[in-house]
Amino acid sequence: MADLEERQSLLGDEDEGSFTGRPTAKGPGKPLPAICDPSHLLHRIVVLVFMCFLGFGSYFCYDNPAALQTQVLQDMNLNTAQFMQLYAWYSWPNVVLCFLGGFLLDRVFGIRLGTIIFSLFVCGGQIIFATGALVNHFWLMEVGRFVFGIGGESLAVAQNTYAVNWFKGKELNLVFGLQLSMARLGSTVNMNIMGWVYGKVADLVGSTGHTALGAALMIASVTCLFSLLCALVLGLLDRRAEKILHKEQGSTGDVIKLTDVKDFPVSLWLIFIICVCYYVAIFPFIGLGQVFFIEKFGFSPAQARAVNSIVYIISAPASPVLGFMVDKTGRNVVWVIFAVVTTLAAHMMLAFTFWNPWIAMSLLGISYSLLACALWPMVAFVVPEHQLGTAYGFMQSIQNLGLALIAMAAGAILDNRGYLVLEVFFCACICSECCLFVHCMQVDLHQTLMSEFFVTVCFFPILVCFAVALMAVVMLYFVDYLKGKSVDCSHEPPLLQL
Amino acid sequence: MAADRSRMGCCWLFLFVFSSSQCLSSGADKSSRKLSMELNPGYPSKPHGGDLLHIRALGDNDTLHFLFCSQGAPTLLLVHTNTTTSTVKVDWDKFVERNTTGSLKVEPESSILYSNALVITRLLEYNDINDTAIPTSDLFPPYDLQNFLWARLNLSAPSAQLCGTPNSTNGSLCVELTAFETEGRSSSWPRLLHNTDSSQLTVSIDGLSPRASHSRFLLEVQAVSGASSLRQVDEIQSIDDEFTPSIFKVYQWVSSVNGSSDVLGFVQWKPVAYRKTNAALEDATPCRHSSPEQQNGTVTAVASGLIRAFYGESPETFGLNVSFGLSGDPFYNSTQFLSWTLLVGVGSPPVESFSPLVITIMAAGLGAPFVFLLLGGIFVCVRKKTGTSTTAYEPIN
Repeated sequence: MADLEERQSLLGDEDEGSFTGRPTAKGPGKPLPAICDPSHLLHRIVVLVFMCFLGFGSYFCYDNPAALQTQVLQDMNLNTAQFMQLYAWYSWPNVVLCFLGGFLLDRVFGIRLGTIIFSLFVCGGQIIFATGALVNHFWLMEVGRFVFGIGGESLAVAQNTYAVNWFKGKELNLVFGLQLSMARLGSTVNMNIMGWVYGKVADLVGSTGHTALGAALMIASVTCLFSLLCALVLGLLDRRAEKILHKEQGSTGDVIKLTDVKDFPVSLWLIFIICVCYYVAIFPFIGLGQVFFIEKFGFSPAQARAVNSIVYIISAPASPVLGFMVDKTGRNVVWVIFAVVTTLAAHMMLAFTFWNPWIAMSLLGISYSLLACALWPMVAFVVPEHQLGTAYGFMQSIQNLGLALIAMAAGAILDNRGYLVLEVFFCACICSECCLFVHCMQVDLHQTLMSEFFVTVCFFPILVCFAVALMAVVMLYFVDYLKGKSVDCSHEPPLLQL
Repeated sequence: MAADRSRMGCCWLFLFVFSSSQCLSSGADKSSRKLSMELNPGYPSKPHGGDLLHIRALGDNDTLHFLFCSQGAPTLLLVHTNTTTSTVKVDWDKFVERNTTGSLKVEPESSILYSNALVITRLLEYNDINDTAIPTSDLFPPYDLQNFLWARLNLSAPSAQLCGTPNSTNGSLCVELTAFETEGRSSSWPRLLHNTDSSQLTVSIDGLSPRASHSRFLLEVQAVSGASSLRQVDEIQSIDDEFTPSIFKVYQWVSSVNGSSDVLGFVQWKPVAYRKTNAALEDATPCRHSSPEQQNGTVTAVASGLIRAFYGESPETFGLNVSFGLSGDPFYNSTQFLSWTLLVGVGSPPVESFSPLVITIMAAGLGAPFVFLLLGGIFVCVRKKTGTSTTAYEPIN
């Protein structure tokens, strides 16, 4: 607890310095009401509402094709492979674009303009997508998804950056939790409402077909317009806060250069790797899970869909609660470790037992929410503010890359070796993470041991040599331990104090 | 000290992997059989009404006769004898007429240990308009396989393929029989583990015109047995789906209770069919089966010439239906192909075990981190204790 207080007082000092106190300098006798005072909690809540709805449109529209899968397949006369292209056109470019988006956010546009631009891309993309359906040109739909993708992921980066700007040192974990639950809400609402919208539109138009599909997608794009509106309001509020509080963007005068990436702190790289390792053990599994529950546990297809989606359903209400808990207790790293170990346990349950998968999947849902709200805010504490966008962009980029690659690998493993081997593979991914943590603390103590770090980085792509490298890393830990005998175990390493 | 421990852990790990893979490989070392095939034994040309294939599988001190026949519905008969000299005698005139018992004999009769037969009697089709995959009463008129036009057996040792077409529509139903000299798995899915006392049948429906766009199919199979009938289907669950991805169950239709040592014969399958010839995982479609029920043996004997010739007019018969596809799966119309594989054998069914690959991955992927974290934890604790004690004592020194 001591470190928590220390942390709060430390960050508090810094923030109080930059927020309160200044309004008095602006002009005496003009106290703002709480809701208009940027340094007040009430005002931050207003900002939070806009911040949450900023991403709503893109999360809603991202899963439009999935919600209307049968309709899209029929109306556009596609096969499943072509249909999957709609998602491929979104995700593959984002392996690079997120990073670029984050960098542009830091370097060129600034957070406010950047957010508006990305929102415009999201809006435009969705409108092109809908137009493609209206005029019955599938290639135009693909173009639309591509444009949508340019905006979508970068908008998430902007959202994260906004969150840090406004809530660092305050309710940051809670805010990240809320954003996650908002994302889930967006896709859940989409899944449940789009079929209905399509039905109504088809009634109006008179028949199903590409016109009805296009019109339904046009209606969906209203959510994007709404998000664009949020971006504009958020920009205004942010500028106002800056004026009132005399908080200037990039106040230190530092500007990010692309070469700064290589000088990112080691802890940040470790956070990236942890992020990738963790998410690859969640999303590809959920993507492939339905058949697993039907075949291994004898579930009906409907039950299998339900148990498969429980992870997302749990994460919607659980992540703000867990975020709040992490805020109150601090120690993000401990919570992340806890989430990872729980995930490992859940995967092992699924792989090696016939226990009811509701247990394992619920556990997975909770640990996923916990990790999401504890891991992402950590970035804000290891990089300076002017690099935040780039860091988040980079994180999202390599997460996308990892997911894309591992999803292919997972498909291949499943096709050739089945679910048991696949699950063991996921367990191995998570295990490697556990070892990274052990390592993480160590690296933090000896930041100079870069060679050691590269051992860790290199072994990840070659999971085949997983065990060997693992031994190496853990051995290194022991060797290190022998060298630096003065290390007191009870004293928490710096990263643990986040 | 740490290194020593780690090395020990390492050795332990390798020992474990090594010994377990040794166990498995020694377990795989089993007896083998010599196969010889003969089409229509003792008949000079193509018999009227269908072929009879005899596969003789010669063991060290026993013989297994596989008889595969298309006189009527496709039938596979297994006869296990305790000598290496038993023979199959066919009275062709009577056999082709299909109305007398005893026209096919395995001699000497006293050497017969056990026999069982599987008849694929009917193919049923229903219109699954609500996509429930529950075959209701509104079935189409079934295809009686005894009325199919069966082509000549197509031999390619050690397997034989029999294809037939219904009179009414185009498309075909093929049954492929494979006998085995050694234990192993076939290369195509579902890669059932077979032993030398079993043979594999693959039933495939190819290009048969469905009578509705939402058609699903059921296959009716019947088992006839010399000594104890195949009365029950046991389900065996496994966490391992390495050889048949996404399938965690094996069903065994056996002659006695719970797979105890006195199982005489079995039919084994995994609940999966494939919707393409060169199947990928997404072409898999689950199967379900009804529980075995006693059938009218006379009808079976009429349907299959081989059954009447070997077992007589009214043998005890049990039958079950296998239905293909679950609610939500694509309908037959999507590929117009279905293939389902089963194993028919004598003695106990083969039992699956973890492959060395899975054990190695498990040991390396999961065992190693745990061992090391455990050792690391112990080591750190020990170190910490001794560390604090030395610092505590240092000032005195």
